Amino acid sequence: MDFASNITAAALFQQVLVGLSRTTILFIVSSGLSLVLGVLRIPNVAHGSLYMIGAFLTYTIASAVGSGAIGFWIALVLAPLGVALLSFAAERGLFCHLYEREHLMLLLFTFSMTLVFNDLVKLIWGSDYRSLTAPGFLQGSFDVFGLPFPRYNLFLLFIGPLVAFGLWFLTNRTKIGKIARAAAVDREMVGAMGINVGWIFAVTFVIGCYLAGLGGALVAPTQNITQGMDHTIIIEAFLIVIIGGLGNIWGALLGALIFGLTDSLGILIWPQFAIVFPYVAVVIVLLFRPKGLLKSTW
Amino acid sequence: MLRIEALTKSFDGFMAVNNAHLTVEQGEVVAVIGPNGAGKTTLFHLITGQLAPDSGSIRFQEKEIAAKAPHKICRMGIARSYQVVNLFSRLSVFENVQVAVLARRGKTFNLFRPSRTIAVEETHQILDSVGLGGKADRVCGLLSHGDQKVLEIAIALGSRPALLILDEPTAGMSPEETAQTLALMKRLVAEFGLTILFCEHDMAMVFSIADRIMVMQQGQTLAEDTPEAVRNNLLVQEAYLGGGAAPC
Amino acid sequence: MIRALFSAKTLLVAALLLAALILAPQVVSRFYIYLMALIFATGLLATSLNMVLGFGGMYQFHHAVFYGFGAYALTLLLTKAGMTPVFAYLLAPCCSAALGLLLGLITVRLTKLYFGMLQISLGSLVWALAYRWYSFTGGDDGIHGIPLPDAVYSSTGAYYFSLAVCLVSLLIMYLIVNSPFGRIFQGIRDNPERCRAVGVDVHRHQLAGQAIAGFFAGVAGTLFVTVEGSVFPELMFWTLSLELIIMCLLGGWFVFLGPMLGAAIIVVLRTFVGIYTEYWTLVLGVVLMLLIFFLPEGVLGFALKKAGPAGADPAKE
Repeated sequence: MDFASNITAAALFQQVLVGLSRTTILFIVSSGLSLVLGVLRIPNVAHGSLYMIGAFLTYTIASAVGSGAIGFWIALVLAPLGVALLSFAAERGLFCHLYEREHLMLLLFTFSMTLVFNDLVKLIWGSDYRSLTAPGFLQGSFDVFGLPFPRYNLFLLFIGPLVAFGLWFLTNRTKIGKIARAAAVDREMVGAMGINVGWIFAVTFVIGCYLAGLGGALVAPTQNITQGMDHTIIIEAFLIVIIGGLGNIWGALLGALIFGLTDSLGILIWPQFAIVFPYVAVVIVLLFRPKGLLKSTW
Repeated sequence: MLRIEALTKSFDGFMAVNNAHLTVEQGEVVAVIGPNGAGKTTLFHLITGQLAPDSGSIRFQEKEIAAKAPHKICRMGIARSYQVVNLFSRLSVFENVQVAVLARRGKTFNLFRPSRTIAVEETHQILDSVGLGGKADRVCGLLSHGDQKVLEIAIALGSRPALLILDEPTAGMSPEETAQTLALMKRLVAEFGLTILFCEHDMAMVFSIADRIMVMQQGQTLAEDTPEAVRNNLLVQEAYLGGGAAPC
Repeated sequence: MIRALFSAKTLLVAALLLAALILAPQVVSRFYIYLMALIFATGLLATSLNMVLGFGGMYQFHHAVFYGFGAYALTLLLTKAGMTPVFAYLLAPCCSAALGLLLGLITVRLTKLYFGMLQISLGSLVWALAYRWYSFTGGDDGIHGIPLPDAVYSSTGAYYFSLAVCLVSLLIMYLIVNSPFGRIFQGIRDNPERCRAVGVDVHRHQLAGQAIAGFFAGVAGTLFVTVEGSVFPELMFWTLSLELIIMCLLGGWFVFLGPMLGAAIIVVLRTFVGIYTEYWTLVLGVVLMLLIFFLPEGVLGFALKKAGPAGADPAKE
C-alpha cells in the first residue's frame, strides 16, 4: 500500500495544477446544472448525457473536418451548439409541459431521458470508445519543477476563469441574466410583471445544457470518450452543486474546486482510494452545512 | 397551570410577540382576542413548541417548556388544533384520531399487531363525544369544512391533554355548527375537566363561554381580565372593539 | 391475525398463485425459473424501498447501497469468515440494517431533496470503497463463484429459497405497514408537523423505518447472491437506486404490491425486449416518459382508482 510515498513539494504543486484543470471541466458542467436547477428547479440527471454527447460530437466533427488543429477548434465551437439545439428541442417538446410537477417526478423524467440518450449514443456511435487527440501545439507537456504538466491542462486553466467571467457577466450584467435570477427566486412575481417566464426558462435551460456540451467538448482530448462518461460526471456534478448551494454559480465554482483538488491530492496521498477523497469531502461539508456552503436560490 | 411571562419573538426584526404575558388556571376557559396579525397564532406556536421564543418564559404545571420539542410538550399534556385545517389527508376520520391515541399510548413502535384492532374503543369514544361517530370511515378530505374543524379538535383530544389549545375553532363555520362547537367546548370542560385556551374572532361566542379574556395587539398583552372588565376597558375599546362592533 | 388482514377472496387468489409458483419448476424451463427467482429478489428490494418511499414519504435516492451491502456482507461472511451459511444469511441483513441506521443517523435530520442528496453522497462513498478495495471486496471485478450451501446451489433450489424468503419477508413487511408503527409512519408522510403535535418523535420513527427498509434490502441482497452466485459493485450504483424508484412508480407506490409488480414488469421487459434489440434501455426510457406524462399513480394505482371507490385503504393489496 503506497501511502503518501510521493509527497514532495514539486509533486504537490503539480497535482494542485492538475486538480485545478480538472476543476475547470467540473465547474463548467456543474455551473450549467446549477443554472438549470436554480432557475427551473429541474434536477436534470440527463445533464451528464449531454456532456457525453458533447464529447462524442466533438470527436465526430473534428474527425470529419480532419487536419488536426482546425478540426478541434471548429468542433469546440459547434459541438456545444449541437447539444444546445438538442436541449432546446427537448425543452420545447417535453419539459415545458412538466414544470408544475413535483421534483421527484422531474428527476425521474430526466433519468428516463438519460436512458434514451444513452441508447441513442450507442445507436449512432456504437459501443466502442473513441479517442481524440488535441491540436498540435496543445499536445505534450512541459516541465514544472521536474514533473510533467500537460499543455492541454494549461489551456484548461486558462479557459476556466474565462467561462467563469462570461457566466458572471451574463447573470449579473445582462438584462436577461437579472430577470433569470429574479425568476429563480420568484417566478410568479416575474410572470406578473408581464415577462414571458416560459421563454426565460427555455433560454436558461439551453444555456445550461450548452455548458454541459462545452464541458464534454473540452474533456474530449484528455480521456477516452466512452459510454459510462455520463454516469460518473452527473454524480460529481450533483454533489458539487449541492455542496455549493443550489442555483449558486459561485457555489458551483467552490464545489468544483473542492472536488477537483481533493481528487488530485487523493491521487498523491493514497492512489488506490483516490476517488474516495472527494466523496469524503462532500460528506464532511454536508454534515456541517447541509444546505450547501453558499446561499442557494431555493 | 400555564404561566407566560415577558414572552418575545421576532422574525427578521418584526416583533410578532412582544413582552406578552398570560396566566391560565386549571379548569378555566381563556380566550385570546385581537385583530389579525396581533400575534395570536404565533403565541400558540410558541406554547406548543413549534417556535422557540427569543426571550421570556412559558411555564406549564410549574415546568419550563419554552423551546422544547413539540412532541415532548404534547406528552406533558398540551394538545392543539390548527387554524387552517391540518389533517392526515389520506387517512380516514377514524385513523386520524387513532394516530393521536396510539401516540399517547406509546404504541407507535408496535410492529406486528394490525392497527385496525388497537385502541378501537377509545377512538370511537372520542369520535362519538365530538359527534363524528357516524362518519368514522370517511376519508377526511371528503368531509365538510365544519366537520373537518371538529375533527381537528378530536385529534387533539386523542392525546388526552390537560390543556387544550384551539386556534379559531369556529372559523368558517355556519351558525349551527358554531353553536354545536360551543356546546362541545362547554361539555369538554364540564365532563372531562379540560382547561381550554382558544382564540377567536367571533365575539359573541367568546363572551358567552370565556371565564377570562386576554387581548393582544401588535404582539403585546393589552389586557387580561374577566369579560366584563375587558368590555369596559377603555384601551381595549379604543384599540379593538371600536364602537362596540367587533370584527367577525 | 391472518384472518384479520385478508379477505377470503384474497386468500383464495393468493393460494392459487402460490400453488402455481410451487409447481412451476416442474413445467417450466430453467431459464424462466432463474428469471422468476430474480424477480422475487428484485421485487422484494423494490418493496423494501417503498416502505420508506411510498409509505414514509422519504426521498430515498440511494436505496441500492443497502442491497449491495447485504450482498457483500453475505459473500464476505461466507468466503472470508467461513461462517456457517445459516448464520451468514441471518447476519447479512442485520448488517444492512445497521448501515441503514448509521446512514440514517446522519441523514434523517434533513428533509426531501437534501436528505436524498446526502444519502447519495454517503452511498457513493460506500460504493467507491467497494469499487477500489480489491483485496477485500474484489474491486470492480466483484467476487464470483461464491460457495453456496448445496440446498440452494441448483437453480431449482435457489428458486424455492427465493420464493420462501420473499413470501415471508413480504408478509412481515405487510404486517408492519398495517401495524401502529406503519400507521404513524404514513402519518409522518402526510403531515410530520401534526405528528409532532400529537407526541410522535418523528426522527426516531424515520430512523426505525430506515433500519427496517435496510434490513429487507439486505435480505434481497442475499437472495441475489443465492440466485447469481456472484456480487459486484454495480449493485450499489446510483443508477440501480433510481431504477428501483421507477419500479415503485410503475407499479404504484401507495399500493403494497405495486413495487413487486413494477419490478416484475421491468425485469421481464429487460429480458424479453433485450432478446429483440440491444436498445432495451431506450424502450424503458420511452415507457417511463409516457408513464410520467400520463399515469402518475402507476399501473396498479391507476387500475385501483378505476376499480374501487375513492376511500379504498391504500395498504390493502
